[in-house]
Amino acid sequence: MDEALRAVADPTRRAILRLVRNDERAAGDIAEEFPSMSRPAVSQHLRVLTDAGLLEVRRDGNRRLYRSRPEGLRDAVAFIDEMWSDHLSRLKHAAEREEWPARTRARRRKP
Amino acid sequence: MTEPEGVVEQTVRIEASPQTVWRYWTDPERLCAWWGAVAEVDPQPGGVCRIDMGEDRPVMLGEYVELEPFERLVFTFGWEEAAGAPSIAPGSTRVEITLTDDEGDTVLTVRHSGLPAAVADDHRSGWDEHLPLLVAAVAS
Repeated sequence: MDEALRAVADPTRRAILRLVRNDERAAGDIAEEFPSMSRPAVSQHLRVLTDAGLLEVRRDGNRRLYRSRPEGLRDAVAFIDEMWSDHLSRLKHAAEREEWPARTRARRRKP
Repeated sequence: MTEPEGVVEQTVRIEASPQTVWRYWTDPERLCAWWGAVAEVDPQPGGVCRIDMGEDRPVMLGEYVELEPFERLVFTFGWEEAAGAPSIAPGSTRVEITLTDDEGDTVLTVRHSGLPAAVADDHRSGWDEHLPLLVAAVAS
């Protein structure tokens, strides 16, 4: 999963994912959409996305065709779910740390 | 086509009073103990709730909607527009927090609604960047 997260953290790679969301596109086609970028740089982005399971690639003669593989990404709800569980765990520890001294004293006072 | 709305709901038990836990949602210093590096909050209906995670991390921009001290808190949740930041627009999702006293402890429920339920769309990007940071924060 981490790999997918890192893969989409880059704006160029997100743009590539948008390009192939509904269409299968050849590598050369995709590269043309990024005129300021070298072909090897675009190829590297395609490789990162493919390795992360976000793109599917198929060969057609000497062309490589890419399409997005949305199931490679977990849905937004799963991410938010994970975010809150991490956040709440930190909140819990912080709040418990704050009350802990008073609670300990109270327990000691009990007969 | 209207996409189905995504909802996340979680409950956690905290060995601290609802009064203490409440302050962790409304006091900037305490918000920074678990959420952000800089918190700018005005805890009243319509008041801002802005949590800056620091460095290159996204900034959460929300607005308090309802505040019933020590029991219930509602705020909107979104990300500020920024390069590489998530595109959950401020105001587009909603977080409801309920605190219930249970023998001096707090049962906290968070319900986050209005989330994009579709996969691989633009809303996703924010969390994709956000999550590794969270994982790192928890692991540290």
